[in-house]
Amino acid sequence: MKRADRAAVWFVLPSLFLVALFSIYPICASVRLGFYRTILMLPWLGEKFVGLENYADLATDAVALQSLGVTLLFVGASATMEVLVGAGMALLLNESFRGRGLVRAAVLVPWAIPTVVSSQMWRYIFNYRYGLFNFLVFGRDTSRYIAPLAEPWLARAAIIFADVWKTSSFAALIVLAGLQTIPDELYEAAEVDGAGAWQKLRRITLPLLKPALLLALLFRTIDAFKVFDLVFVMTQGGPADATNVLQFYGYKKIFAEGMIGYGSAIAVGVFLISLALALLYIRLIGARVLEPGAAR
Amino acid sequence: MKPWPALLLLPLLVSPLHAADIRFVTWRDTQGYLEPLIADFEAHNPDLKIVRDVGPHSSTEFHDLLAQKFRNRDREMDVFFMDVIWPAEFASAGWALPLDRFFPREAQKKFLPATIRANTYAGAIYGVPLFVDAGLLYYRKDLLQKYKLSPPRTWPELVEQAKTIVAGEKHAGLTGFSGQFKQYEGLVCNMMEYILSNNGDLWDETRLSGALRFPAAQEAARFVRDRIIGEIAHRGVLAYQEPESLALFSEGRAVFHRNWPYAWAEANDAHKSKIAGQVGMTTLPAFPGGSSAAALGGWQLGISRYSRRPELAWHFVEFMTRAETQRRIALQTGRGMAREAVYRDPEVLEKYPQFRMQLAVSMRAVPRPTTPVYVPLSNIMQRYFSTAISARDSDIDRLARHADREMDRVLDLLRPRAAR
Repeated sequence: MKRADRAAVWFVLPSLFLVALFSIYPICASVRLGFYRTILMLPWLGEKFVGLENYADLATDAVALQSLGVTLLFVGASATMEVLVGAGMALLLNESFRGRGLVRAAVLVPWAIPTVVSSQMWRYIFNYRYGLFNFLVFGRDTSRYIAPLAEPWLARAAIIFADVWKTSSFAALIVLAGLQTIPDELYEAAEVDGAGAWQKLRRITLPLLKPALLLALLFRTIDAFKVFDLVFVMTQGGPADATNVLQFYGYKKIFAEGMIGYGSAIAVGVFLISLALALLYIRLIGARVLEPGAAR
Repeated sequence: MKPWPALLLLPLLVSPLHAADIRFVTWRDTQGYLEPLIADFEAHNPDLKIVRDVGPHSSTEFHDLLAQKFRNRDREMDVFFMDVIWPAEFASAGWALPLDRFFPREAQKKFLPATIRANTYAGAIYGVPLFVDAGLLYYRKDLLQKYKLSPPRTWPELVEQAKTIVAGEKHAGLTGFSGQFKQYEGLVCNMMEYILSNNGDLWDETRLSGALRFPAAQEAARFVRDRIIGEIAHRGVLAYQEPESLALFSEGRAVFHRNWPYAWAEANDAHKSKIAGQVGMTTLPAFPGGSSAAALGGWQLGISRYSRRPELAWHFVEFMTRAETQRRIALQTGRGMAREAVYRDPEVLEKYPQFRMQLAVSMRAVPRPTTPVYVPLSNIMQRYFSTAISARDSDIDRLARHADREMDRVLDLLRPRAAR
């Protein structure tokens, strides 16, 4: 046993090194930068240590607070819908029917497309003049065409919809894996007892699926919190800041305005919120589920 | 010996003998002038190769791309296009190379004065002007004639004319006005033309303070919200940059259109436009009691501080901005050029008679705030303008005061240390 453990350490080491290099180091660097005021365009101000000033500014920054609201709305709506749609897809894919392999592959296509590419596609679809969206809704009557990405609420709905379209299949994969761990004997026993399809779903499938559903929700929530590319391509934060999610706001602060310290403080804020969410979910699911072999 | 073979050898003598790539960050060339120019340059300099790096159309996104390259001290960028609002920032950050040794005062005098001022920061020059832009009003000559109207001198007049024509035409899909009202840099240009033509301003340069809360500026914003967006433009313009808004006009679906000089040739190109020959162009309207104001735009070529071969890069910049090149681009595209001589060139004037008027507008065009912190200021203004005009019931007074406070905070960074 001891020897196997030692060997295991060596196997884990390379990935530990990568995690340290690509996650832990950048996080520490951002935390450090967040305590300084560094403005690229004004090099003569130097790199001044300001303690928690950036965070104090952040707490009173109306744009940041509004941006937090937009982000939470995006996360809540997209993660919930993705898990619901994903669960529906998983239930369908778990049935055996002709051409199931083909459907399973097809469902994964949106997820396999890089987000930047699919965002570009949605931007075209929602275009006022030549987008498919208007044609489907209003047909050839071009005088009634609307510009979804110019209306604050429609633009929000559009990025949520694009995210649901793209990542529901990811949730479906997790739920499908959960479904396949449910032993067939349970259903057979239920049938013997005279249970119908609805009862089987409610009494067997859903309770046993709870860990997988929560896991899908966890992954989707944390991932949705980091939304950036959709907004970057489709709306650039507009109209009227309606889609200005936190990650995009931080990006603009650092890369466009050169406010390195303040932008880093925003990034750290996003990190802390994701961390808190992750811890909350892990408690909710129970650490047991995340251990190997605990899925049943 | 005939003279021309010797001439072919000339570039070999004046330039170093090793072959080199010059990396040029540019935008997609929709007008087709760049490719032949670069081919020409390469033909004259067989040891140099121009490698194009194509950035996004939106000035804001293009800026962010450049800033990212500078931040990474990217040595793979030598020459780049620079919007008229960036030299102060790029100079202050130490990103753009001062070009005084290549581009002395004497040479600068051949360019429109406003473009040289825009490229000068703390006494040094950081870019060579190529294109100069100024906001102009385009209109449908045929429609105005049909309703016996002359081009509007005031903004309220423009709204009334647009309403008359749209009501009279009964052509589904015809709107009164198209401009650039998306949340991006172009929005600042459009809005400043309303504000300045109402005797307002974006900022108070001497006091280093925002000026959006003052009545003249607020009134202009309210006018755009209630009358331009509210009455004569399709709400789609809230998502439009230049290409989309011009397309609407070229399809014959807008009576009036605000754009830069390049739109003239595009709207009159029968291959791209349904209204070729029906296009009129004039100075932008003003509010009663104000005078027409055009935002100064334009593009310069700069050289990166991190370039490995600034001399060779200059060789290319000089070629791209010399008189013959600017004349050639003007003839091909009809775009406003930075060299004054182009506006006196008989061939150019024959092909583009509007250049006479364009020169007058360009000479009077107003630059946006020249300061190293322009980008944060612009983001605040973009946010304010977009919020103010997108919602029909926006609280403009509150939003404007808030925007001014935010601008003041950024501008405070520029105050001398003792005062802070």
